[in-house]
Amino acid sequence: MSAQKYKVSFQPDDVTVEAGDGDNLLELARESGVAITAACGGDGVCGTCKVIIEKGEVDSLPGMQLDADEFAQGVRLACQCRVKGDLVVAVPEASRMAAVAGRRALVTAEEVMAVAGWKYAPPIFKLYLELVPPTLEENTSDLTRLERELAKHGLDHYRLDLGFLKKLPSVVREGDWKVTLTVLKEACGPRLTTIEPGDTRARLYGLAFDIGTTGVRGELLDLNEGKVLSRGVEYNGQRIYGDDVISRIAYCTKPDGMAKLQQAVVATLNEVIAEMADRANVPAGEVSTVTIAGNTTMIQLLLAIDPKYLRLAPYVPAASLLPPLPAHQLGINVPEHVYLYTIPSVASYIGGDIVSGLVGTGIYQRQETVLYIDIGTNGETVVGNSDWMVSASCSAGPAFEGGGISCGMLATDGAIEGFGLDAKTNRPILATIGGAKPRGICGAGLISIVSGLLTSGIINQKGKFQSESMNRIRSGSEGLEYLLASAAETDVSKDIVLTEVDIDNLIRAKAAMYAGYQTLLKSVGLSFNELDKVIIAGTFGSHLDIEEAITIGLMPELDRTKFFFVGNGSLLGARLSSFSTELIEAGRRVARMVTNIELSENGDFMHHYIASMFLPHTDSTLFPEASRRLNALSKGGTS
Amino acid sequence: MAIETPCINYTGSIRPISLGAGDKSVTVGGETSYPFYTFEGAMPHPPRIAMEVYDMPPTDWPEAAVTPFKDVLNDPVAWAKKCINDYGAEMICLQLVSTDPNDANRSAEEAAQTVKSVAEAASVPLIVWGTGNLEKDTDVLRTVAEVCQGKHLVLGPLVEGNYKKIGAAAMAYKHTIIASTPLDINLAKQLNILMGNLGISDSELIMDPLVSSIGYGIEYVYSVMERVRMAALTQQDEKLQFPMICNIARETWKTKEAKTAEAEDPKLGDAAKRGITLEAMSAMLLLVAGADILVMRHPEAIKLIREMIADLTN
Repeated sequence: MSAQKYKVSFQPDDVTVEAGDGDNLLELARESGVAITAACGGDGVCGTCKVIIEKGEVDSLPGMQLDADEFAQGVRLACQCRVKGDLVVAVPEASRMAAVAGRRALVTAEEVMAVAGWKYAPPIFKLYLELVPPTLEENTSDLTRLERELAKHGLDHYRLDLGFLKKLPSVVREGDWKVTLTVLKEACGPRLTTIEPGDTRARLYGLAFDIGTTGVRGELLDLNEGKVLSRGVEYNGQRIYGDDVISRIAYCTKPDGMAKLQQAVVATLNEVIAEMADRANVPAGEVSTVTIAGNTTMIQLLLAIDPKYLRLAPYVPAASLLPPLPAHQLGINVPEHVYLYTIPSVASYIGGDIVSGLVGTGIYQRQETVLYIDIGTNGETVVGNSDWMVSASCSAGPAFEGGGISCGMLATDGAIEGFGLDAKTNRPILATIGGAKPRGICGAGLISIVSGLLTSGIINQKGKFQSESMNRIRSGSEGLEYLLASAAETDVSKDIVLTEVDIDNLIRAKAAMYAGYQTLLKSVGLSFNELDKVIIAGTFGSHLDIEEAITIGLMPELDRTKFFFVGNGSLLGARLSSFSTELIEAGRRVARMVTNIELSENGDFMHHYIASMFLPHTDSTLFPEASRRLNALSKGGTS
Repeated sequence: MAIETPCINYTGSIRPISLGAGDKSVTVGGETSYPFYTFEGAMPHPPRIAMEVYDMPPTDWPEAAVTPFKDVLNDPVAWAKKCINDYGAEMICLQLVSTDPNDANRSAEEAAQTVKSVAEAASVPLIVWGTGNLEKDTDVLRTVAEVCQGKHLVLGPLVEGNYKKIGAAAMAYKHTIIASTPLDINLAKQLNILMGNLGISDSELIMDPLVSSIGYGIEYVYSVMERVRMAALTQQDEKLQFPMICNIARETWKTKEAKTAEAEDPKLGDAAKRGITLEAMSAMLLLVAGADILVMRHPEAIKLIREMIADLTN
């Protein structure tokens, strides 16, 4: 690479940046925040990234999408230009992206830790073509006419679905020979999936999903602007057939068991789709692509592939990497031509949801050693960096998602996610998602409440109420319980309580998580202190209070600045993969790169697990500060 | 060439704990090395044996175990005296089997009176062992604690489900307690922490790791006890630095191997010798694993163990 530097100025934005010899003009524009449309992602196919080189020199091929006149006037495809000198580049109105640089729109709080340096190029794009109408003299087929135009865009080789051909004759005539094609980018080349009359390029939508064992979460995406239009969440309909993946797999051995599970999750997906379509005012019929991340069992059940071998040693999944599949055939309520992408998996218990999170947070490109923790029904942990990654998985149970908790709920509006005690009255102070009256308790709330009850001496380190005669403690159907909000204070007209059984479920869940990463780190010879970052993913709340998570021993006691909470890492990865084929490819690489260890084969795990079933931990040297605070409290004489 | 014996670097020690009251009180614990590793550290208080006394005539003891106590089975006070006077018992463990709700279901008050009379007749430290029934033990041991105020009894077993109520009574009436957990070092430590939080003094706590006989998983017991001692002595785990008690007699004498008469299965040989050997061998293993107090039954087995302790500590 030459060290030669040039100045490139974009107009009318009046943005001037420094460029190296041979830099790609489209990339340069994007890095500078200049929004240029490139529907195909910079493959030189769609012809939408036209710019005018007003001054200076670039290396560029004429390209099929430019006619000679245009070329003579200095019009170029930005994606095909390499900088060869100082430039003044005009970006015509037609080439400007609707939103300010697509990537900017992505940056939300959760994406502070997101993967960097990728090119915005969804796996699907729309191509607008104007065909030459037939005459009696020139009456070759509709497809031949289409092919002639495709050739001008460099698309000589493509694949075609039958559904496309069936629509072709009527659509070209309906659109008066002006049509928009939807093109899927596959590893082996483009596939034409559908054709619409007229120019519909402005409407390109995708769906991203995280199918969790307990909850299903989706996003409806605008693929032109790279932004989320609406979100949706529902409990996974399979829940009635078992709380965890093992019970679901077992259910498949019953007659029609697998069919029921498959239909249940599809029904949930359709519910979420309807919800999101309604909210974004985009009909589901306009969706062009679906990307799904889920654990291996969830994906096999979605596809109705018998999951029984997943739970039999040596725990082998049917496939790690699946090709794009027709979504409609699975019963998903999207048009027939829509393909479903699944994020590849590592092993039976390290699924695409984790790979998705690893891609979404860019761990595979980081130098520093990161511990990635996905807190969910399956607790998965990965440690590593750009050179190596090792994973482990354990069953935490559904407590973090409100499952198995008497007043538990998903992290949606009205869920209690923060807890404190009024210093004077000792009454609970509750914070709910959305600030509404409480409806139940989500995972973050559970962590906060148990932490609060522990540090105020209401429960002991085993999670049992210290005394039956304390304020707000009463005897309920499941034993002792703590009254968080009485019926009148809630939005559900019933008391919201936390029982000893609930606390026990949380303790088991957090113990499995902690023992999981303790065992994983030990097996690679690392200690907690050697970690540079701890990235926490999970759908248990809109935020996680690290202090509280440490107090109950869910998180290791480390420098607080090392922790980053990214929310739903799996959905983040699915969304970003919908935005970039590079990230789909990264997912494949990551899936191959991760080495999985089976905790069930590890003798240390059970020991660590029992030791972790204490608040914060049986070994107080692992939690010196939290333990010291608790000791000070018990010395204070609350017993 | 001179060979240097490798030595373990101990960083912790077991708390010495004084049991009973008056001039027959006994101290256990205090070790600064692994059991009988006197070449590396000290064992200032050799392990002690508490002889078993039942508060009602036992119904399931094999003949060999019954014979030495035939004349005193109906009278716990006489039984205790016989243990002390005839067999030189340094401690008595009174098993309150009569309080079992599935058996005689004697009341807490009755049990407390029995304990009181035994405590008054026997000058040696008295261990009082419940039936393991959570609710009944709570009731019985609380009453015992109150009725026997000032006797500095050793009360057990206290488990996670009842430690608070019994523990509070033990503190109020100044007794020592036995923290009992099912064969797990972490659970043992957790209960000890909870005891500390409750306010139980470190000098009033004995651990019961839950034991079993040879042939019934004693290897597992051994391993748990060994790990407890390693954590206490080499990892400064303060919450595990307590003496351990092993209630082993009832475990060995209830086994098929101890109970089968010679006539039933001649190839097993003499039943008395068999039972005594089983008890003695199980006890020996537990001593080597770190037991500080053994609850034992047969005078012959006790004699063998006393000899072993003397051999290893001198």
